[in-house]
Amino acid sequence: MKKLLPAIALIVLAVSLLAIPACGGKAQPGVYTIADETGDWGFPSPYAHYSRGPGYVRMQFIFETLVWKDADGFVPQLAREWTYNEEENAYTFTLQEDARWHDGVAFTADDVVFTFNYTKEHPYQWVDNSIVAAAEALDDYTVKLTLSRSYAPFFQDVAGAQPIIPEHIWADITFPEEFLGPEAVIGTGPYTLADYSKEHGTYLYKANENYYLGDPAVAEIRFIKMAEEMNPAAIEDGSVNSASAPAEVAADIEAAGFSVITSPPSRNGKLTINHTKEPLSSVDFRRALAYAIDREALVQIVFRGHATAGSPGMMPPTSPWYNPSTPRYAYDPDEAARLLAGLGYTLEGGRFVKNGEPLELSLIAAATYRDLGQFVAQQLTDFGIAIDFQTLEAKTVDSKVGAWDFDLSIYGHGGLFEPSILTRTIIGEGFNSARYEADPELTALLNAQLTEMDAARRKAMVFDIQELYAADMPALTLYYPTSYWAHDGSLPLYYTADGIAIGVPIPLNRMCFVR
Amino acid sequence: MTGKYHLITYAVAFIIILALNFLLPRMMPGDPLTAIYGDEALIAMTPELQEHLVERFALDEPLWQQFGAYLGALVSFDLGYSYYYNASVFSVIIGSLPWTLLVVGTSLVLSTLLGIILGIESGWRRGSKTDRALLTGLMGLNGFPDFFLGLVLLIVFGVVLGVAPLSGAVTPYAGLTGFALFLDVLRHMALPVAALTLAHLAGSYLLTRNTMITVLKAPFMLTARAKGLKPGSIKYRHAGRNSMLPVLTMTGIWLGRLVTGALFVELVFAYPGVGQLTYQALLSRDYPVIQGVFLMVAVSVLAVNFIVDMIYPHLDPRVRHAY
Amino acid sequence: MHISLKREIKRSHFGQAGLALLALVVIAAAIAPLLTAYDPDQQTAASLLAPSADHWLGTNHVGQDIWSQLLYGARTSLAVGFGVGILGLILSIIFGVSSALIGGIYDQIIMRIVDALIVIPMIIMVILVAAYIRPDLFILILLLAALSWQGGARVIRAQALSLKESGHIGAARAMGAGRFYVARRHIVPDLGPILLVEFIYGVRRAVFIQAGLAFLGIGDPMLVSWGTMMRDAMSFSYLNVWQWWLIPAGVALSLTIIGLTFVSHAAESVLDPRLRGEAVA
Repeated sequence: MKKLLPAIALIVLAVSLLAIPACGGKAQPGVYTIADETGDWGFPSPYAHYSRGPGYVRMQFIFETLVWKDADGFVPQLAREWTYNEEENAYTFTLQEDARWHDGVAFTADDVVFTFNYTKEHPYQWVDNSIVAAAEALDDYTVKLTLSRSYAPFFQDVAGAQPIIPEHIWADITFPEEFLGPEAVIGTGPYTLADYSKEHGTYLYKANENYYLGDPAVAEIRFIKMAEEMNPAAIEDGSVNSASAPAEVAADIEAAGFSVITSPPSRNGKLTINHTKEPLSSVDFRRALAYAIDREALVQIVFRGHATAGSPGMMPPTSPWYNPSTPRYAYDPDEAARLLAGLGYTLEGGRFVKNGEPLELSLIAAATYRDLGQFVAQQLTDFGIAIDFQTLEAKTVDSKVGAWDFDLSIYGHGGLFEPSILTRTIIGEGFNSARYEADPELTALLNAQLTEMDAARRKAMVFDIQELYAADMPALTLYYPTSYWAHDGSLPLYYTADGIAIGVPIPLNRMCFVR
Repeated sequence: MTGKYHLITYAVAFIIILALNFLLPRMMPGDPLTAIYGDEALIAMTPELQEHLVERFALDEPLWQQFGAYLGALVSFDLGYSYYYNASVFSVIIGSLPWTLLVVGTSLVLSTLLGIILGIESGWRRGSKTDRALLTGLMGLNGFPDFFLGLVLLIVFGVVLGVAPLSGAVTPYAGLTGFALFLDVLRHMALPVAALTLAHLAGSYLLTRNTMITVLKAPFMLTARAKGLKPGSIKYRHAGRNSMLPVLTMTGIWLGRLVTGALFVELVFAYPGVGQLTYQALLSRDYPVIQGVFLMVAVSVLAVNFIVDMIYPHLDPRVRHAY
Repeated sequence: MHISLKREIKRSHFGQAGLALLALVVIAAAIAPLLTAYDPDQQTAASLLAPSADHWLGTNHVGQDIWSQLLYGARTSLAVGFGVGILGLILSIIFGVSSALIGGIYDQIIMRIVDALIVIPMIIMVILVAAYIRPDLFILILLLAALSWQGGARVIRAQALSLKESGHIGAARAMGAGRFYVARRHIVPDLGPILLVEFIYGVRRAVFIQAGLAFLGIGDPMLVSWGTMMRDAMSFSYLNVWQWWLIPAGVALSLTIIGLTFVSHAAESVLDPRLRGEAVA
């Protein structure tokens, strides 16, 4: 028994260590802590951050763009004013005169010109600058960007997204992706980078006291890594100021006295259809599929109500571009059966049969869509179309879809703000596009809407696009997921209109952190 | 077993590992560059870099030449480049390694020591109530997978009771130094270490107990007792020391188990070690990192086993003369 | 010397407890459709419900009945466990006996490979392979079997070697019996008790690894399994649902493994220390 004492002592010691009260756990005044599940999104310079939304968010505290957005729309940033010359397809921006780089050097038009020229050789991963034919400094604080043709989404895709980099630092950098020193994060933004740890997935930003558009609201911003399941507990005990809120507890967090904001629909999940092969090449068949899937039930069962049923026109109902007359394809299995009957299918023993062959299709998706795929497979099977559902490696799904080696697939993407997404995902190349060119009127409209600078005319085009797209049904938008963000109210966080930059639906706009 | 036998065995193991690492991506359908570097890569790589890599790894040459190029790269510690992390695989792994060593090392020591002590006590009292209780209890504990134990501990102590940190190895940006930092690290590793230790306690316990039972029957034990030595001395200095030898031989194997256990435990506790790294790499199919980790872990385990095999004959003279 | 292993196991307390646990799991898995009215795959809108008369263990995030998932999950664990156990055992016998009987270079090569593979942690190898090929049920069983026969092969070879030297084998060979005949008629049957022990080790390891892989998200996510249940439950740990979602799955898995551990312990104690040192479970 005596010899067991050391063992027992060890255990008692171990347990008592847990009882030591937390040091540095609660949030301190002047410090704003944000939790993120992945943690590491890359070194926050324009060329080193990882190419997903949160990567851009880390970078935008430091680097700014010509124009920016707040909760309502475009606002001045490095450019105070701008004019558009229609004949020349040129924008003239009047720049801020008291903006400075973090190392004290003054910001001038030369930096803007440099940025647009530098990115011709070293493209910035998120912005396709090829539309900018020439960049010219008219004087120290005026810059003229001439486009190769008119381009409606210029502000959303380029001027509001391209971070401006300092000429005096980047002029000699030939390998921008490898430029990772403290000089690589000198920008004009309201915060500077004090620390970044890849292994721990943490970022520390300090306020830039000389910021030209106002005072930074907090002294420090910290990003820490935490599994999403732990967010509610961390928010409620005050160790984290804001974080995404899992849908199930969003209401509880709000009831506990915190603020919870809801994202407007910006991402979707789609049923991709291989419209190049029988029987899916028939429009009526695809419409039957749409009628046979109950998207309202999908939202209730798979997402427990935390989503919106998809509109067949792709643009979500809350979008200013949404066409209310878009055909809705409300759940109607009888209509679906009628369409199939018109194609020669008869229902035998619960299964649709044509020429003696029972109707069977395959559905592939990545493992993240397991629950959704099972729902769709079950619905269609109950309806009478046998579905063989398989989850595969995401890459395998992508390459099969890209090679047209599939029947049905599930895929999702974001960016449902600017209608250019319609063109990209209906007639664009690449596996995440429907690559549907069978409707010349639709194709013409999709191309024309990109260069139509008159807002009213463009809107009319986008309305028509949605109706045609819904009628042709090359892919079916199933749902728009809803996500929630919780915070303690100390800063007025909001979801940026049309998302940050090209459409990032994260409510961490740098302007929320500035008074 | 002579040194040469072991050397050959481990060399064979090493070659198997290398071959596996080498062949898997090349057996996948499609472009070998994607298979080797993963998806992010082709987005980030310029055409010149792709050509350069194809040439460097002889990807358009016959298989045996590719193997040569692969071995050549390994010799210079080039484990590849992760396009997801934008850094060399080697540096990515090295960054996470200390935390895993901390947790795994502590668990190995604790579980082995505790297991030995309990095993000796249990073996000494074989058949008694204490022994049966310990035996049943530890075998029961052994049946709980480390990830389940970890989850239960996290939920009970972290979420429900709120006394343990919910993630990480240190409290981020808390500005702690010295002793406060040391305590912070201890607090964060307490649960992961507890989960790993409890899950693997039974291994050393059972082995020690069984060996103890056998040793207690040996003639020299009778002599010790006849000499009138105190029970404590008999238990630990005579019987116990001999029971520890088999434990030593198993250290290498147990290290292997703890390392895989660390994979699950780090995932559950969001602990920034190699296990967490591997899991993230799995999610994003960052093949260079997955392979790099596999190589490093397998080689480390091999190395430890080799060292143990080399040391063992020096500790147990009986073995030395048998060969 | 013939110890009746089965009788000894049934007599020991551990053996009884272990067999009882296993019987519980096997029977539950076998008569699952009788124990629940729900299809474990059926998604409904009644999600994240607490246990009630309708749903004994409540429902999960897509409205599937957890009790049903628990029962049908047992089938997956047992199928993989026994599949790998049997296949692994067959491979162990083939390689172990042939090494012993043929000897020479063949023996050397096989034993090197065996020792090499024993040292490398199995899960890591499986993860590496699974990262490239997403295994379905069959491929998973094949893969696990291919990586788990080594320990048994070593033990069987040792036993076969000692049997080879025994009198009656020598007599048979002298009378002209071929090696295969000797293996089939004399050696394998006498290996009986060891085979049982190795089989149980194999099953236990396979059950654990399949659950672990499912927990990591490797393997077929559409297969109802305890590992997948725990993985799904983990992402909702902030809700108070873990009590009836995570715990039952984890406990079921643990009980199955404990049952197998108890039975193998009972078997080992009967068979003797010579095995204990070699046992790598």
